[in-house]
Amino acid sequence: MIEALGSPFMQKAFVAGILVSILTGVISAFIVLRKMSFIGAGISHAAFGGVAIGFFAGANPLLTAVLYSVAVAIGIDFTVRKGKISEDVSIGIFYSLSMAIGIALLSLSQTYNVDLFGYLFGNILAITPEEIVLTLAVSVAVSGFIVAFLKELFLITYNEELARVSGIRVDLLNIVFLAALSVTIVVSIRIVGVIMVSALLVIPGATARLFARGLRSMIAISCAAGLASVIIGLVVSYEYDMAPGAGIVLTAATLFFIPLLLKRRS
Amino acid sequence: MSIAVEIDSLTVKIKNKDVLKNVSFTLEEGLFLGIVGPNAGGKTTLVRTILGLARPSSGSVRVFGKSPEGHLVRGGAFGYLPQHQNIDPGFPASVIDIVLMGRYNAVGFFRWPGKKDTDKALRSLAVMGVEDLKDAQYTHLSGGQQQRVSIARALAGDPRVLILDEPSTGIDVVGQEDFYHLLKGLQKKMNLTILMVSHDIGTVTTYVDEIACLNINLYYHGNPLGALNEKVLTSLYGKNVDLLLHTDVCEKCERLR
Ligand SMILES: Nc1ncnc2c1ncn2[C@@H]1O[C@H](COP(=O)(O)OP(=O)(O)OP(=O)(O)O)[C@@H](O)[C@H]1O
Ligand SMILES: [Mg+2]
Repeated sequence: MIEALGSPFMQKAFVAGILVSILTGVISAFIVLRKMSFIGAGISHAAFGGVAIGFFAGANPLLTAVLYSVAVAIGIDFTVRKGKISEDVSIGIFYSLSMAIGIALLSLSQTYNVDLFGYLFGNILAITPEEIVLTLAVSVAVSGFIVAFLKELFLITYNEELARVSGIRVDLLNIVFLAALSVTIVVSIRIVGVIMVSALLVIPGATARLFARGLRSMIAISCAAGLASVIIGLVVSYEYDMAPGAGIVLTAATLFFIPLLLKRRS
Repeated sequence: MSIAVEIDSLTVKIKNKDVLKNVSFTLEEGLFLGIVGPNAGGKTTLVRTILGLARPSSGSVRVFGKSPEGHLVRGGAFGYLPQHQNIDPGFPASVIDIVLMGRYNAVGFFRWPGKKDTDKALRSLAVMGVEDLKDAQYTHLSGGQQQRVSIARALAGDPRVLILDEPSTGIDVVGQEDFYHLLKGLQKKMNLTILMVSHDIGTVTTYVDEIACLNINLYYHGNPLGALNEKVLTSLYGKNVDLLLHTDVCEKCERLR
């Protein structure tokens, strides 16, 4: 632990990791309650397409990933409305399409030095100071949004029609929520990678649900579970020299299953 | 007295099928309207159209002279109890949290409910006779208790119009009589306009001011006693209407008390 904290890249990883765990913790509570885990997984994989666009165009991959995954989130929503198909089908289409775009562009751009593995499973060595700033900005914006509209999001989560009767702009808030989800996913890529980020969007919320008696306590427990997963996971992956995403997800799953099993027995 | 709800030749089509056809009626402010009719008669669709949740295919709906969409922008005009709430069985909220949701519109954006709102929510719970449940987990309650809490939520926002879609579902027989009495009292005390969908035509007619008999078309609207004749009921429900007019059931519950 001490040794891990000594290295500068681990310090950067901890700062980014703490921010990301709190962000995903808050979002995760809503993902679990609104049964949005598939859209979380869909947008995470879509982010891979966005990363590839960045490489192809010679732009910062995280920046293009932010723009692309917000567009995909809105595209999923639009396709559901326009095409009269269910959301899981729409997500399935965008999910695979984006992966295909990603693979195609990476093949075309011939950049063999692209750290594909790092984008898929996390690479804390690649974190730049600009990305820390980006993560901080996203954290402030997303948590500001959630705090400002907490009771509205609470009512939408409970029942969308009651929320509309109460004067809440449900469609608008849903789109903003999807955008918040997308940017959260992208800033989590360096820490856990696109394959593993969907776990951070689901497991802390699921853990919180085992204990929570109210929405606010659910968010708090979810953040705590996310934070513990990221810190322990980073140390473990440093010690055993594994991809950070793997260490974090293994920790998160352990933090979910242990109380689950204890709860069943009592 | 002003007009609360004004519906003019309303037709609602869902998937090219008429769910409501050429429905017209007006309801004055402060009156209690009962909406009855067979399953799939369009009762839920009618109240959802009044709330602005479903759109007319043709015709118009006005609530206090404004379109339902206009009311949705500001919110708070209606207290609404949906027929089915489809609440996730693991939704983490205490009873008081749920009732406070009814206060969100009054609280306004960027603020959290305060003491005044909590007091109001507790009073609504007391009105529904379930104040002692305030700290219980909502999803741990029985169906009837959940129904009472949800009605308390609908009342907590001081609505001008209360819309209840089959509110007596799950409420016990003795409780139902009390509940209708209570609605009647609220109506008078707060000059509340109430629209209530119900299948309990016999009991409802003794409490409401007006009744609307709906089976895609509006078969009858007016004095509730006028609806209790065989001609109206036969056209509304088809055969076997005697069942509806039998009062045995009600006598039985009188004996229970
Ligand atoms: N979202 C929808 N999609 C398809 N059909 C619908 C939808 N909503 C309502 N309908 C149809 O409209 C008709 C009227 O439904 P509605 O729910 O208004 O009836 P109701 O009078 O409330 O019935 P019940 O007494 O069973 O509650 C039904 O035939 C129903 O199938
Ligand atoms: Mg109905």
